[in-house]
Amino acid sequence: MAHPLEGRLAAYIAGRMPLATGVAVTDLERISGGASRETYRFRLAWTEGGEARQRKLILRRDPPASLIDTERRVEFEAYRAFRGSAVPVPEMLWLEEASEALDHPFFVAEEIAGFQASPQVLLSGAYDAVLPKIATRKWTILGEIAKADPAAAGLTSFMDAPPLDACWSRELDHWEALIDRDEAEPLPVTRAAIRWLRANPPPPAQKLSVVHGDYRTGNFLYDEAGDIHGVLDWEMCHLGDPLEDLGWSLQPIWSFGSGRVGGLCTEAEAVAAWEAASGLKADPTALKWWTLFNCVKGQGIWVGSAAAFNSGGNRAPIMIYPAWWLINAQERAMLKVMGKL
Amino acid sequence: MNPPVPNVLAELAGLLVKNAMPGVPEAERASDLGLSAALLGVAAEMWDRQAHILVEENRAVRALLGEPGEDADLRLSVLQAENDRLRGALVVAHAAAEATGDTARQDAIWAELVAATDRRRLSTAPV
Repeated sequence: MAHPLEGRLAAYIAGRMPLATGVAVTDLERISGGASRETYRFRLAWTEGGEARQRKLILRRDPPASLIDTERRVEFEAYRAFRGSAVPVPEMLWLEEASEALDHPFFVAEEIAGFQASPQVLLSGAYDAVLPKIATRKWTILGEIAKADPAAAGLTSFMDAPPLDACWSRELDHWEALIDRDEAEPLPVTRAAIRWLRANPPPPAQKLSVVHGDYRTGNFLYDEAGDIHGVLDWEMCHLGDPLEDLGWSLQPIWSFGSGRVGGLCTEAEAVAAWEAASGLKADPTALKWWTLFNCVKGQGIWVGSAAAFNSGGNRAPIMIYPAWWLINAQERAMLKVMGKL
Repeated sequence: MNPPVPNVLAELAGLLVKNAMPGVPEAERASDLGLSAALLGVAAEMWDRQAHILVEENRAVRALLGEPGEDADLRLSVLQAENDRLRGALVVAHAAAEATGDTARQDAIWAELVAATDRRRLSTAPV
């Protein structure tokens, strides 16, 4: 049975491909996950210059209420900025910010098909032989993101550029405000962590960097040889301190219980790969601050997902699971980073 | 535990009915049912222990705050409301201990916070 979005999406794309005839969308199916955007894969077929063509594409559409509220243009432009660089990303095709075509804003992108993203599969044992290679690639790519010049990448037109000494307070203010708004029950460890972060601010950023915002195992596409073919989920991308992304990648939640950072390697190995690629230094004291901050940020996301469910804005099970599974685990992660556990 | 378990179970019941109908795309059905199964597993783990956790935690926090009393009404909603009140007061007490440099009190509060996260820890939790 055809998905109800297929005809509407085909009509939209036909309007963007003036040289194409017979534009058709088939095999549209929703991909699991996608708590901040509804993600679908589909096959686009059309005729152009007398030749029949096909392409596998991705549709990312805003949901009624999201785990993370962000502008889809920011995500779209972030992908475009890194296209053709040392950071592998899919090609962006069309961005639609109005709601008429598919009820909510969306964008369409190339599907990088044939690779895995699942952390569970990666850490199942089947990939153990290539985990060191994936680890080096993962933090090398993150170093490349940190090294990039946001202005040269064209991103300063779409993202605020905070002063170097205000990167930390801007982010902490943002996530603390979301926790104030969304927490459904008191979070004593999170509140203690926020007090510690404010009492012990980090030094100014070494440079203004592109911050992916959700760079973790699970948000890149890998293969059995240990190569990484695509970095995904740029919806929280912004400009800030390069240590912010490194801290998110190292925060204990993303160990998936393995005891290794990102489930992949030691922290020292990850930091060494990042430093080699970025040409930057990860001062241990500053990195501790950013790792703990990212525990607070994670908590902001998990309590936000519970709030979206409780308000009725989004009743999907994906909104419940992070809240049930991760809120207490995130407090334990904070205790660990603070040396209390 | 939030969202509250009864609300989640009601939502999952509706989701199962929807997925029992024909015409649901296979990928969406697989995603919904997989997540529902995981959530039911968490709910099952919490079912037997939740009242005990809240009573034990409320008792520990009352002791730290110097408050008398015991939980008389053992309905989860009542225990949770009291837990919210007590843990809110604990946040204030912790901040006050930091402001006055009362390290002994800070250590006592930290010990309870570590114990609380251990009580609440799920068997599948990543940390």
